[in-house]
Amino acid sequence: MPPSFEEIREQGLSRWRGLNQGTRPWIRIGTALCGKAAGADAVVAAIVERMDQKNVSAMVSEVGCLGPCFAEPLVDVSMPDGSRVVYRNVSPELAARIVDSHLLEGQPLADEAFGAIGNHLNGSIPSFWDHPMMKPQRRIALRNAGQVDPMDIHQYVANDGYAALHKALTEMTPDEVRQEVSDSGLRGRGGAAFPTGTKWNFLAGAKDPVKYILVNCEEGDPGAFNDKGILESDPHSLVEGVILAGYATGATKGYVFIRHGHDGPIDRTWRAIEQARQLGILGRNIFGSNFCFDMEVSLTGDSYVAGEETALMESIEGKRAMPRFRPPFPAQIGLFGKPSNINNVKTLAYVPQIVLNGGRWFAGIGQDRSTGTAILCLSGDLSYTGMAEVPMGMTLRQVVDEIGGGVPNGKALKLLQTGGPLGGVLSAVDLDIALDFDAMSKAGAILGSGGLIAASEDACVVDLTRALIAFCQYESCGKCFPCRTGMTHLLEVLERICRMDSTQEDMTLMGRVGRSMQAGSLCGHGQLGFNPVSSAVRYFREEFDQHLNDKICPTGTCPGSWHSPTRVRR
Amino acid sequence: MADDRITITIDGVEVKARRDQTVLEAAIEAGIYIPYLCYHPGMKPFAACRMCVVEVENGRGFPASCTLPVAEGMKVRNDSSQVHELRRDVMELLIADHPHGCLTCHRVDLCGPQDVCLRHVSVNDRCVTCPKNERCELKDTVRYLGMEMESPLEYKYRDLPVETGDPFYDRDYNLCIVCGRCVRICEEVRGDNAITFTERAGQALVGTSAGTSLLESGCEFCGACLDVCPVGALVESDHKWEKAQQVERTICPHCPVGCQLNLEVNRFDKVVRSVPEISSPANRGQGCFKGKFGLDFVNSKKRLKTPLIRRNGSLEKATWEEALDYIAERLDEHRGDSFAMLSASDSTNEEHYLAQKFARVVMNSNNVDYTSNTQPDAVNAQRGVLGFGAATNPIWDLEKNDCIVVFNANVTEEHNVVAVPIKKAVKEGAKLIVIDPREVELTRYADLWLRPKPGTELLLLNGLVKSLLHQGLERREWLYENCSGLESLREAMASLEMAEISEQTGISQDTIDAAVRAYGPAEHSSIVYGMDNVPEELHTDCTFALSALSLLTGNLGRPSSGIYPLKPGANSQGAWDVGCVPTHLPGYISFEDDEGRERVEQEWAAGLPETEGLGQQGILRSGQVKSLILIGDLDNSTADALQKLEALDFLVVQDTFLNAAAQKADVVLPRSSFAEKTGTYTNLERRIQSVRPVITLKNTAATPESWALCKLAQRMGAKGFDFSDTAAVMDEIARVAPIYGGVSHQRLEKEGRLVFRPDVGNPLPTQVLYSDKEYHGIQWPCLSTESSGVEILFANGFGDAKPQIPIPRYHKAELAEDAAFPLLFTPGRVLLQSERKMTVIKGLSNRIEREEVIEVHRDDGQVLGLREGDMVELQTNGASFKGRLAFREGLQRGVVSSTQLFGQLMVEVEASQSPDPMSEIAGLNISAARLVKVE
Repeated sequence: MPPSFEEIREQGLSRWRGLNQGTRPWIRIGTALCGKAAGADAVVAAIVERMDQKNVSAMVSEVGCLGPCFAEPLVDVSMPDGSRVVYRNVSPELAARIVDSHLLEGQPLADEAFGAIGNHLNGSIPSFWDHPMMKPQRRIALRNAGQVDPMDIHQYVANDGYAALHKALTEMTPDEVRQEVSDSGLRGRGGAAFPTGTKWNFLAGAKDPVKYILVNCEEGDPGAFNDKGILESDPHSLVEGVILAGYATGATKGYVFIRHGHDGPIDRTWRAIEQARQLGILGRNIFGSNFCFDMEVSLTGDSYVAGEETALMESIEGKRAMPRFRPPFPAQIGLFGKPSNINNVKTLAYVPQIVLNGGRWFAGIGQDRSTGTAILCLSGDLSYTGMAEVPMGMTLRQVVDEIGGGVPNGKALKLLQTGGPLGGVLSAVDLDIALDFDAMSKAGAILGSGGLIAASEDACVVDLTRALIAFCQYESCGKCFPCRTGMTHLLEVLERICRMDSTQEDMTLMGRVGRSMQAGSLCGHGQLGFNPVSSAVRYFREEFDQHLNDKICPTGTCPGSWHSPTRVRR
Repeated sequence: MADDRITITIDGVEVKARRDQTVLEAAIEAGIYIPYLCYHPGMKPFAACRMCVVEVENGRGFPASCTLPVAEGMKVRNDSSQVHELRRDVMELLIADHPHGCLTCHRVDLCGPQDVCLRHVSVNDRCVTCPKNERCELKDTVRYLGMEMESPLEYKYRDLPVETGDPFYDRDYNLCIVCGRCVRICEEVRGDNAITFTERAGQALVGTSAGTSLLESGCEFCGACLDVCPVGALVESDHKWEKAQQVERTICPHCPVGCQLNLEVNRFDKVVRSVPEISSPANRGQGCFKGKFGLDFVNSKKRLKTPLIRRNGSLEKATWEEALDYIAERLDEHRGDSFAMLSASDSTNEEHYLAQKFARVVMNSNNVDYTSNTQPDAVNAQRGVLGFGAATNPIWDLEKNDCIVVFNANVTEEHNVVAVPIKKAVKEGAKLIVIDPREVELTRYADLWLRPKPGTELLLLNGLVKSLLHQGLERREWLYENCSGLESLREAMASLEMAEISEQTGISQDTIDAAVRAYGPAEHSSIVYGMDNVPEELHTDCTFALSALSLLTGNLGRPSSGIYPLKPGANSQGAWDVGCVPTHLPGYISFEDDEGRERVEQEWAAGLPETEGLGQQGILRSGQVKSLILIGDLDNSTADALQKLEALDFLVVQDTFLNAAAQKADVVLPRSSFAEKTGTYTNLERRIQSVRPVITLKNTAATPESWALCKLAQRMGAKGFDFSDTAAVMDEIARVAPIYGGVSHQRLEKEGRLVFRPDVGNPLPTQVLYSDKEYHGIQWPCLSTESSGVEILFANGFGDAKPQIPIPRYHKAELAEDAAFPLLFTPGRVLLQSERKMTVIKGLSNRIEREEVIEVHRDDGQVLGLREGDMVELQTNGASFKGRLAFREGLQRGVVSSTQLFGQLMVEVEASQSPDPMSEIAGLNISAARLVKVE
């Protein structure tokens, strides 16, 4: 007999009290991908070692990502008195000093701190949430990121975790859950911005005893890491979202599809599912209801196109990740021939809060038909890079200047690449666009999965376009002819331009190839595959002309050296 | 139903379509051409090539018509300028990867279709040097689209080596357009998955998944991928560049599946290619390595051209007059029981009929049989129980089965196309139970593989029957209504001990029960059985047991519920039907049936011998026969059999080649091959189909045996052999054999259904080039000209002939223990075996040599002091070969297995001059053997 929700909740709260108001300090170290890349593993080892040496007793947890990835490794020290300091760019040497000074002597190292959380330090350290990157944020899906141990279900439960599921299963019908989601105006965060409630209604309407909820965490876009960030920081919010989606649509099983090789998200999601199953939150008769649901993690091959919803299903079925044709749509014939619904990680991570607080509450955030928040990944030539969650409606310029802190070293911003390689580029002069699905699409850009890559005036737009197309070409699955052959020709032409070995005729040629790809391709990869070129040409035609006519690269980047496989096999 | 069809318009033309069709399918049926490269009839759409894009009124973009479902009132534009422009642009991208210089050459109008032009186009870019030139769908599509000559895109030749390492066909991936047809037909239709897509993006191509040779990837060389390849990437290595002048439809002479093949003939009357017919009900566009690549013998220069008479110990050329005179004179001494006639396994119905009529009327002997009649007891046993010794259901019914039992039959190898629906059913979730001591290809797909000790097959079947009754899985109500004998069977089975059966067969009781649980409750199940390796004394009772299993579960008289006996020989079914067996007159009239016999005597105006004659075994071994007419070669030319032939007083052999038996003959007559004959074959599902002459040979005196037998009969003074043609022979068969009552050549031709296809002229692509007429044949019993034959036997119940459930004996065959050869050798075949080293002998097509693997149980290996990996020689009485030893736990102790096909045998086959080298492989029989270690 699994424990009741009340028992689970009580256990969680008591664990949380023990951590925050116990007798020992609690040290949280960000070991998400950003932290690990910056050396967090060595910091963990250094802290533990130093604590042993000095005979200090404290609890050490590995947590996910708080957001400011540029400041990793972050070490978050909270003392039994409730004071809490987040240290930035911690080296093993600094880690030892933190133990010596902060833990042993109770003297926080103010100079090394990123910020303080809570009001116990009388302002000697500026508040974490007042940092320019953090201040404009409104955290819903990321509310637990970096705050709780992703490997511990109890910490999630202590922070309202699985309360939404309990509420839905005990107080709401599936129709009511879908209604809340429809009311919230939530739209798919994977790129297409399709209303989630409508999508769920399709699946709910499919008459089949076996239905699937598929979660897409392929996330192969360069510059996108928020899906993986959520899974690494707070996997239970996704697990709860999936179960809610399953309940709302009458599905029986969920698959979380993660790009292989991302061990952090894979391990933590797998572990979260395992823990939920142990507590009876997954499995038969969840919380004593009639609802039965299970989940598993499924890995992609090394393929970007596997993130396309039908290719994803092929991949889970163990086949080569190539898109299927539609109709039939996944809600009719999906995974293993059964009706299926595919959502992005971010979309589902919102769902528990929507169910808990009501669709209206969510609809009150954001603007117009773009409700809620946008979860952004900032990278490239910015002062503050990392993961941020802001209300919809903020302009891109605000995002770049405030959250991103502008381009470092006084350089000017040249362009912004949004929504993954297929999203194309936006000129710096054109950034007064609101973060809003409709406004962005009107401006010819896409919010996509939320990746924003900034490039300073030092970047050559032709070379950047070549790099984007090289990615798209390499990641074409090779099924439909226009994409397979078109991408290759685009890349060949761009390489010629970069080598200053091209004429204006090549621009016409690219236009023609692009048109065939857009009109003729089977899936979005080919249909949108010309975007990087068309958007770059729209804003930076003169730079192309300089390469073509004057054989000059104004930034001195071209011809760089690169190797991209195209048609000829080695 | 006509009402169920909806109307769409394509370019303003109203087209009727079924609701489940796509726009492309509807267009093809209506004769409207929409170009396509990746779609192919019989496979699911793939939507990759984007050639079939169309516009739909009030629709978005350019959907691919191959995946676009029809909808009432839909208005489709196939000829708008935007559609054409998109197609041209995509094609332009495509041919930048494919040699196309000839297509865009400015001299193209001056160029003849087969000119090898050396002027304007570089070697890598020519069409005229491509083996598929003028058979290429890509080329024709380019012409249809009206491409510009100049393209701004850079053409790149992939410069990959042409893969010629595998037997039968070459792969030139420089020409591949990655349409995926080959990959899909291999996976979707054949169930083999031997090839797959490799790499991706601009480098995407087709290959084996691990980069191995096809031999190692599970390819069964059926050639289906070649038949669907739209370009020159996949082509037969023999006659690679030959152009067809004409195409003729006929039936494959290699096995009783009765595949309709389109044989392409060049201007020198050479058969250069074989393409299975897509509209054929027996094979549905599928073929196998024998029908696809094993027909070259008809072109051989070594074929017999004149009659030969043995003079002074050696065979000397003679004229037909001399030969016939001589035979007539010599045979005159042997009328009666000392004469025998053996017809060939690939003789037509008409020839089988004439052979038996000759023996019975002219020679007054019932010693008549066909050479491959190796399991007559099984046929007679099934006839005894069910009334028919043939498959009860069509071959492709197997596709929809829930459970299939395959008993001692190497289906993939010997009746290849039958394995296709079996594998498809398995893919759809059907259970497959294989009962066979050998490893055969189907064991890879089997849910349960039961390997009884050789000789205990019948005990195992008894166990299955008992377990079925014990578990109460018989369909009682159906049985009460349709059969008798349930209670006696129950009583007989009650005395059997499952423990003993398990002990004797080496198969656990649980496994037997599990097999029955899979088979018994299945709604649609079928039994496919052969008698390979089953000792002859068990044939009757094994068939009884299998028939009992069919009856007990009520799996008869319904679609996808049947029993399929598999016999060797292309027209073995026909031989039985027209009485070319010692036990029956045409139409299965038994010799005890006085009325029937009298009717035949009346028709033939001759008295007949009253007792059964000798079968092929008895003819050779009884010593009673002194003279023999043998058509074709012996089924199994062992030294012993050849010795028996030599001992005859007088031997006439009519054969296509001077084979082993012909070399022993007193008179050798040159025989026409199947490709030069008119007649009919009856396949294993009782389908009578036309064999048509494909080539006319010059400078040869070879004739069909029907001509020779009639001439000889007339010369010997017999009446009733003056047929104007083989159609007249069929008319007589129809009068004599009631089951053929409504069959005539004229009707078989006339009932070919004309199918409207896009005009292959002006210059539409070559798709489905060969399908202009569909021939469905007639499945007997066809009692009158009004009858259209019977697809499924007993579909209307059993009528008065309620079958009695047979009670099989409980009997084990003692395989002679030979101290010198203590082991039993069960030759099998696996296509894939990773540890095998494989070398291809270059320079000779279709010839490979691989290292054999000889498999025994670990215990036997240890007793013999052998270790895994040792080089050993397997010796049987009369043959031996070397191989590498491997231990296999699944084998019974005392049994040796090896994998033969594409190994040693293949090399032998190539070296032999047999007219039908492929069918020689069939002779894999169990034999006593020993293992000797070699250094």
